[in-house]
Amino acid sequence: MAHSKFPVQVLTPEGEVFGEDVEMVSTRTGLGSIGLLANHEPLLGTLVPGELRLYRSETEIVRFAQAEGYIQFLHNKALLLVEEALPPDQLDRELLSRRLADANEAAARAPEGSEEQAAALREARRCETFLTIGV
Amino acid sequence: MPASQRDVRNRISAVKNIQKITRAMEMVAAARLRRAEQRIEALRPYVGAIRRMTRDAAEATGYVPSVPILSERETVSTAGLLLVAGDRGLAGAFNSNVVRAGIAVGREYEARGLSVLYFASGRRPSSSLTFRGLEPRESFIGFSDRPAFADARRIAERLMVAYVDREVDRVEVFYNGYISPMSQVVRRETLLPLSEATLLQDEQASGRALGDGQADGERGEVRQAEEQRADGQTQAEPAARRIYIEYEPDPEAVLKRLVPDYVKLSIFRALLESTASEHGARMTAMRNASQNAGELIKDLTLEMNRARQAEITQEIMEVVAGAEGLG
Repeated sequence: MAHSKFPVQVLTPEGEVFGEDVEMVSTRTGLGSIGLLANHEPLLGTLVPGELRLYRSETEIVRFAQAEGYIQFLHNKALLLVEEALPPDQLDRELLSRRLADANEAAARAPEGSEEQAAALREARRCETFLTIGV
Repeated sequence: MPASQRDVRNRISAVKNIQKITRAMEMVAAARLRRAEQRIEALRPYVGAIRRMTRDAAEATGYVPSVPILSERETVSTAGLLLVAGDRGLAGAFNSNVVRAGIAVGREYEARGLSVLYFASGRRPSSSLTFRGLEPRESFIGFSDRPAFADARRIAERLMVAYVDREVDRVEVFYNGYISPMSQVVRRETLLPLSEATLLQDEQASGRALGDGQADGERGEVRQAEEQRADGQTQAEPAARRIYIEYEPDPEAVLKRLVPDYVKLSIFRALLESTASEHGARMTAMRNASQNAGELIKDLTLEMNRARQAEITQEIMEVVAGAEGLG
């Protein structure tokens, strides 16, 4: 059964990457996966790296690799602010693998509990997640 | 002795070749400048939305939580200076202005007994610092033509790590602020510690630093919707005007996540403005170079004509002298 649609805007610092009406938004927040349908209650949450799925219909899905960000649902409109949103076929897997190795190395080298280690682990997690997103 | 025609002709052709290159570089810079301007514009809606979220979350918590990058140090012993310029030259004083301004402030701090750590974004400031014996603590290179947000994030993370892990007690950034294709101005801004005022000040006042400015259609739309809803409710109870928003995980955690974004966005804004300034400066420099080449070609052509005239006169004189000798 088709769900009613609602407007979704996905913004990155480099511009808008998506702005259409969809039936459902599926993404990952700090607390786990979340699916939003029309008329969801007002929400403001943090997003973690993961796969963002925008359902134009049950079969037509637009996918992005999303970095850290925020999701806001207000007045039956969803606004996603993400640092990066890349179509899976545009991911440079070689570069990501290199960055993952560098980040892991930096995390191992950094003093335990330091901000340096936390930053390296964040970078490693982002690269690792992007690498798991299939084309 | 006047230069021979062939010498002058060779010089003219060399200058013409240079002029072709400078004209091409001017056109490339103009095209890239337009794209760079569009990218500055594209940042506005994002920054506007981040500001709205920050304000909403701060209203929900009623306070700004303690985040290490917000806390000012009692004594500042080491200052971090980030110099943002380009990877390439041939752009007039674009690179040297930033380097000069940064080093002047560094020397001033050193005179006051502070240690200074330099960070460079761009090959030029990095090599200029090294040349002056002021080895940068870290250089970020290879993206000054078209910086991505990921580049700004990398720089911001490095500087925040330096601040939180007490490698530096204060961080300032120097970059060419973009005013117009013809005009750029070196800006100096304090990145860390981040002030609470930066987080909560009204959007217009802080527009320049983060790039959200005033024109933001999307923001207008959301606010309008909120106001329409608010109008239907009693004006006597401002608290009731706000809609209940569910925070995930909670407003404080959201706010804590938002705070570092301001540093990343300030740096991204600086990179984008610097890129636009670089293309603007290169466009102007190359236009001047093309004009100078044009003048040089005019002068050399005149010189070549003179040389040719002199040769002709010489030949006529030789012919006349020869004829006289025969007669």
